[in-house]
Order: sequence, then C-alpha cells, then structure tokens
Amino acid sequence: MTLRDNIRDFFHGAAYGAYERELRLQAAELNDLFLLLCYMEIVGLPNPATLYLLDVYPYLLEQFHLWHKRMGMDRSPLGNLPCC
Amino acid sequence: MTHLNRLLDKQVLFFGGKGGVGKTTSASAMAVAASRAGKRVLLVSTDPAHSTSDIFERRVGPEPVPLPGNLHGLEIDGEFESKRYIAEVKKRIEGLFGHTIQKEANKQIDLAASMPGADEMALFDRIGALVRGQDDRFDLVIFDTAPTGHTLRLIRMPELMEAWIRALSRSRQAMMGIQHDEQNDPVMQSLSERLEHLREFRARLLSPRVCAFVLVLVAERLPIEETARAIDQLQDAGVAIGGLIVNRVLPDSSPDPFLQSRHAQEQVYLDEIDRRFASHRRVRVPQLPSDVHGVTTLEQLAAILVERTH
Repeated sequence: MTLRDNIRDFFHGAAYGAYERELRLQAAELNDLFLLLCYMEIVGLPNPATLYLLDVYPYLLEQFHLWHKRMGMDRSPLGNLPCC
Repeated sequence: MTHLNRLLDKQVLFFGGKGGVGKTTSASAMAVAASRAGKRVLLVSTDPAHSTSDIFERRVGPEPVPLPGNLHGLEIDGEFESKRYIAEVKKRIEGLFGHTIQKEANKQIDLAASMPGADEMALFDRIGALVRGQDDRFDLVIFDTAPTGHTLRLIRMPELMEAWIRALSRSRQAMMGIQHDEQNDPVMQSLSERLEHLREFRARLLSPRVCAFVLVLVAERLPIEETARAIDQLQDAGVAIGGLIVNRVLPDSSPDPFLQSRHAQEQVYLDEIDRRFASHRRVRVPQLPSDVHGVTTLEQLAAILVERTH
C-alpha cells in the first residue's frame, strides 16, 4: 500500500464511513424484496415470471443463504427450498 | 368481392375464433395461398387439440416439418417446450457453479417446472420466439390458435410479463446501485435480456405492418357475438384486425325447402355481420360439398381467400 492509497482511503472513510452502515442496510432490504419477488411461488403467491427466473436461481441461492443467516435462522426455514 | 391479399405482406398472422368455426382450415388455406404467392410460410398450431396433421394428412410435430403445398408446419406442445426450456436452462448454468449449488439449483428448477402454468409459459415463450422472427427460414408465420379466450390472454401476456420483469430489474438495479457494478451482474444481465425479448415480441405484435389478427366465424348467433367481443379486446390491446372470414356460407340456389329455410335464416345473420363489422374486410367462404382435407381442397379455399394476381 502506497502513501497515496492510504491518503485516499482516509478521505474516503471520513466522507462515507458514517453512511456506509445505512447503505448496507438499505441494500440488504432491497435484496430481500428482490428475493421475495423471485421466490413468491415458494411462499404460495403466484408468480407469472417463474420460468423466466430459472436461470438466475443458482445466483440467488447464495443470497438466500445470507438472508436466512441475517434473519437469525441457522437453517433454511423453507422446506421446499433447501439450503443448509 | 373482397380478398385478403393485403395480408400477404405481413410477417405474422393469427387466426382466431370460436371453437369449430374452421380456424385450422382457414389458416391452412391462407398458408397455401401465401406459399403460392412466393412466401416461405410456417404454419403454427397453438391449440392443444392439434389438427394440422389431419388436414394435411402428414405427421406434424413440435419442430417445423415440410408439408404438401410447399410450406412448413409446426404444432406447439406445451409439455415438450417446457422440457426443452428446462434442459436449456440446466445446460446454461452447467459448469458455472460448484457441485452443491448446481445440485440444489437443479432441484429448484425441476420444482418450478412442475408448477401449474409452466407449460403454458413455455408455449408462450416459443410463440414469442417465432413472432420475433427467430427462424429466418420463413417470411410469414401463421398461427392457428386455440379458441378465442385463450388466445387473447396470450396476446396480453407480453405486456404483463414485461411489467413483471421490469419491476424485478428495477428492484435489482436499485440494490446494485448501492452495492456493486450492475453491468457484470449475471442476474441483471439475464433480466435485461428477457426484457429486451419481451419488448421486441410486443412491438412486433402491435405493429400493423408486421402482424394482423384474422377472425373466423360462421353466420350464427354465438360466433357473431364472440367475434364482436374479440374485436373489442384486440383493438383494446392494440392488435390490428386483418379481416373476417365468414365460413361455410350456404349456396342460395338449392330447390330443397329445408336448405332454403336455412339459407333465409343465414341471410339475416350475414346482413348482421355486414352491418356490425362494416369497417373490417370480410371474405365469404361457401360451404363446400365435401370435407376439407388434403392440398387440393385447400387450394380451392386459398383461391377464395386470396385473389391470384398472376
């Protein structure tokens, strides 16, 4: 790490540090909404786009894992959506 | 007498109407007429109760096959399309993920495929690909559709799906805006591609230059009412009406009193059709002395639908 990088990081932290937690929370909430929209079918709501979402499911599995961890559940709460 | 010659310049034609009025026959005759006019035609049946095979006396399946009359035919099968779609998706994600995720994802994909409506959606996806002109071997794709209600829902579907996928990608975008770079997000890429396809599907469906809907009816009470409703809904959805085919019109020269009475009754309905659908192109197709099947009878009908110019 050069001095230049250190200085840049210092100013970045000073400017954005306070907002970062807020932004992270907001991103997590938006992500949860997105997951719900994709997995509606599994919680019993009809979703017309299910078939079009098939190829994004594998990418979402990881996020689903992060979600149930964040919600304080060690294992997947949905029987038909096994995770860990 | 009117003809449907103008429809030959389109790229997509839908034939719809109440069950049993002669949609398949009309669509097939139109396909034969277009092929005679030099077009490379694909005749697609979307009705789960397919009858293209019967009329052409050839086996037609889920992939285009050559038919007599120098055209190609295809009978879309929801179950087949859904299986094909699932197989494609599985193949696409193969090798992109670790073994465990892949296994879980495949389980989920199989589950989704067994949901009610999956077949219908896969069918819709195939129709979309055909409307978008995915198969460049053909100039004109003619859809012989299932009875009206089902088809109108299908016509509305791109709009509905587009709204859905757009909402999804907005939500994803908002999140990515905070967290990562959206250009490289595979989820976002997949959603954008879907959205692009749906937009194109809808644009072609709604372009009067590209696509038109032909309604087939017979001169009876219920088909007239259904046609009026279908026209309202199609116009509401923004789809161009290509014309009306009034099928099985009785000959007026019969000495038989029974037929004469039927004819008088029919005349009332024919007048009503002329009055109510005055702003649309109408072609009357006479009742033929025998059933329509095979190319010879189809050619007779084709000559009634489209006037030969050379």
